[in-house]
Amino acid sequence: MDALARSRGAYVCRSCTRSLRRQWLRAHTYSTAATTPDIYDVVCVGGGPAGLSLLTALRANPATTHLRVALVEAQHLSKVRTWKLPPDRFSNRCSSLTPTSVRFLDSIGAWKHLERDRVQPYHEMQVWDGVTGARIEFDWGLGAAPSADAIEGTTIAYMNENLNLTSGLLKRLDELGGVAVFDGAKVEAITYGPETEELDLRQWPLVHLSSGNQLCARLLVGADGANSPVRSFAGINAPGWDYNRHGVVATLEMEGDGWRGDQVKIAYQRFLPTGPVAMLPLPGRFSTLVWSTTPANAAVLKSLSPKDFVAMVNAAFRLSPTDLTYMHTQEAGQTDEYSWRIQHTPHDPRAVPQEVVAVQEGTIASFPLRLRHADTYIAERVALIGDAAHTIHPLAGQGLNQGQGDVQSLAKTIEYAVTHGQDIGVTMSLEPYLAERYAANHVLLGVCDKLHKLYSASSGPLVPLRSVGLSAVNALSPLKSFLMNRAAGNPLKLF
Amino acid sequence: MRPALRHLPRRAVRPTPPAPRPTLTAPLPSKSRPFTSTPPHNHNHTPSSASVNETEISHFSALASSWWDPHGPSRPLHLMNPLRHDFIQRCLSTSPESTPSSFKLRYLDVGCGGGIFAESAARLPSTQSVTAIDPSPTILAVAREHARRDPALVGSKGRLTYVNTTIEELPLPEERSDRYDVVTLFEVLEHVDYPAAFLDRVGEFVRPGGWLVLSTIARTWMSWFTTKLVAEDVLGMVPRGTHDWEKYVNEDELRGYFAKKGGQWGAPRVMGVVYVPGVGWREVTGSERIGNYFFGVQRLS
Ligand SMILES: Cc1cc2nc3c(=O)[nH]c(=O)nc-3n(C[C@H](O)[C@H](O)[C@H](O)COP(=O)(O)OP(=O)(O)OC[C@H]3O[C@@H](n4cnc5c(N)ncnc54)[C@H](O)[C@@H]3O)c2cc1C
Ligand SMILES: C[S@@+](CC[C@H](N)C(=O)[O-])C[C@H]1O[C@@H](n2cnc3c(N)ncnc32)[C@H](O)[C@@H]1O
Repeated sequence: MDALARSRGAYVCRSCTRSLRRQWLRAHTYSTAATTPDIYDVVCVGGGPAGLSLLTALRANPATTHLRVALVEAQHLSKVRTWKLPPDRFSNRCSSLTPTSVRFLDSIGAWKHLERDRVQPYHEMQVWDGVTGARIEFDWGLGAAPSADAIEGTTIAYMNENLNLTSGLLKRLDELGGVAVFDGAKVEAITYGPETEELDLRQWPLVHLSSGNQLCARLLVGADGANSPVRSFAGINAPGWDYNRHGVVATLEMEGDGWRGDQVKIAYQRFLPTGPVAMLPLPGRFSTLVWSTTPANAAVLKSLSPKDFVAMVNAAFRLSPTDLTYMHTQEAGQTDEYSWRIQHTPHDPRAVPQEVVAVQEGTIASFPLRLRHADTYIAERVALIGDAAHTIHPLAGQGLNQGQGDVQSLAKTIEYAVTHGQDIGVTMSLEPYLAERYAANHVLLGVCDKLHKLYSASSGPLVPLRSVGLSAVNALSPLKSFLMNRAAGNPLKLF
Repeated sequence: MRPALRHLPRRAVRPTPPAPRPTLTAPLPSKSRPFTSTPPHNHNHTPSSASVNETEISHFSALASSWWDPHGPSRPLHLMNPLRHDFIQRCLSTSPESTPSSFKLRYLDVGCGGGIFAESAARLPSTQSVTAIDPSPTILAVAREHARRDPALVGSKGRLTYVNTTIEELPLPEERSDRYDVVTLFEVLEHVDYPAAFLDRVGEFVRPGGWLVLSTIARTWMSWFTTKLVAEDVLGMVPRGTHDWEKYVNEDELRGYFAKKGGQWGAPRVMGVVYVPGVGWREVTGSERIGNYFFGVQRLS
């Protein structure tokens, strides 16, 4: 990794690092070469979507390219680099990327490195209440045969496998070079740096890796996910609560390309008393499922045969909540139960997703859902981004996008600090990042949390309220177009 | 903190407002110093530190320990610092032929205090060296100690050098071309007894083609209101006694001073800034006649 570090005009110069090492060795005669600290301007812990995208942004910007940066990731990145699936197989971990996120990824040169035929834009959204049937339709009134440009301009979001994003970001980072990568290395401890005759690094975080390396950071970035060790080091609390819900994900094969073919794709979400169930389009006949439900229901779903699982998913978008509750008590036989009950359930087939015909092997999984918001995103020489700063209910598909928003803001904050000679690690320099992101994230977290609560009750005073809520939104077309513009940002051309 | 101020003796409750003046640019009240005054012959300073007012220095020395506290009394200076770089860039860009962008700059920061500007200038890739001086040994010790926290500032490269001296005692490089590309004087002029004599000396250190860049406060009702009454007395944002309103320098006085130097200096560039609590400093056109402002002049010969 030393070979990767640049010396020319570096903010932390190589000779300082070397002389510090010498002094450090003098001061600690027991030290071995492997345990001497290496000084970096930015040490980013976590090579998920947030961490990789921050490093890419810093390396791609001429104003920050001289910074000495390091990446620490517990997993082996070779798995991400060599990630490859046949065109008819999809990973179960997908996220929708808003056009704003995509525009940002494009600006840092990463978007072109994604496998674009695995990315599926969608243009319409159908959201309805499983108890009252109230519905919002997010469509743009595209005619029967809209032009490609007209479709492009109405993209609400892009469904994409997280691995397609991270491997694209890694390809871009490899192209840019200049990152000291420590992968397959876990952060074991974070302490403070040494003091020598010349230097006082007692306020600089010192990251100890399982590989034995020690990295001293001007700015330590926690992109290390919901259980962020960097956040704990900084003593930042992240209050929140578990929803007592799990998100069940799976890759599904549908009966066709969708009701409007391959051109205009539709995302579906139905609010059930146990939580929302969403079906999001992937290329061709494929879709990805995110079903948030009770841990007990999730366990049942995961234990079913593929056929019965498919029947449950079809039921989730069509049958009444009472039917679904009953079917969750069955150990098997959901396939027959569904074919019998659907005959007695009036529904408009074109208002729900096409039928699921199969589930891809090994793609059914579940994750616990929780809401958490760190008290702050910054501390002296520490900044938190992505899930380390906030985890959100997946119902709005915003988690990863919020992280991209954080990255864009932090990269801009660092650029401003660097071009004005500020120390990028001190809170004074990081304040604009906090000011820009905290309130925005808090509002979004609050909205998604309240939606979840509103729709998790099957009876009681909230039910009539929510039905009014949804149909009222549908009626108020100006408000709806505002929401849709929020989802889509301005039209853009990316394919 | 200073025990008492010369012109405002009773400071217990409220500072006494200045005598009313018809316009912002009207002649100075008789009590305050004329801008062009030179040190009296019977003054009690040694000639080599003529510009230094001991009361001022002890005031800043008392602030030393909190200099780098981002929420301490120096917060307005910290927040102002990025604008100083923007203003310097703006000055340099008016005469790209005398300072090409590939040029590595040599800075002299006079009255550097804890080193807020000096450190930031030394971090810029476009900087060759920063020499930063201050008459207060206490503050300079804080500056040196703080610079040790950043490997980019210390060590073999040695781009940042602190010297505990006055401008009068700092040796002037013989060769005029060896003098500094940028000489900075941020929030110092309003603390100096004889500004004209002081500027005469400071100006000597600018190489022909180089820039003298300073920031200070205009002496107006508004600046009295914001810096004395609001900042010191009402909000307690900066300690009482930080400012001596009578010493503030108006922008037209500075213009007049440089214009009288027989073509030695170019036309000044000015930028007025306003402090918005909770937001920070904002550039406001025309506000140089009211409160804080930046002033830059290029040395022509
Ligand atoms: C069921 C489910 C569905 C979701 N659906 C969507 C969606 O539709 N749209 C959307 O936008 N978002 C969605 N999300 C959220 C999205 O997946 C996350 O917001 C996103 O992955 C967060 O990225 P990150 O880089 O912040 O953190 P992560 O992806 O969690 O990355 C953190 C990285 O840090 C590493 N790490 C952690 N600890 C250490 C350590 N001690 N040492 C070294 N490395 C360490 C980990 O190995 C990991 O690679 C969903 C989440 C769930 C659970
Ligand atoms: C308000 S502080 C500004 C410090 C620094 N320039 C900054 O803006 O961050 C004023 C400084 O001027 C110094 N000072 C006062 N009189 C001076 C003089 N005659 N010559 C040089 N410096 C002086 C003080 O010691 C103090 O550090």
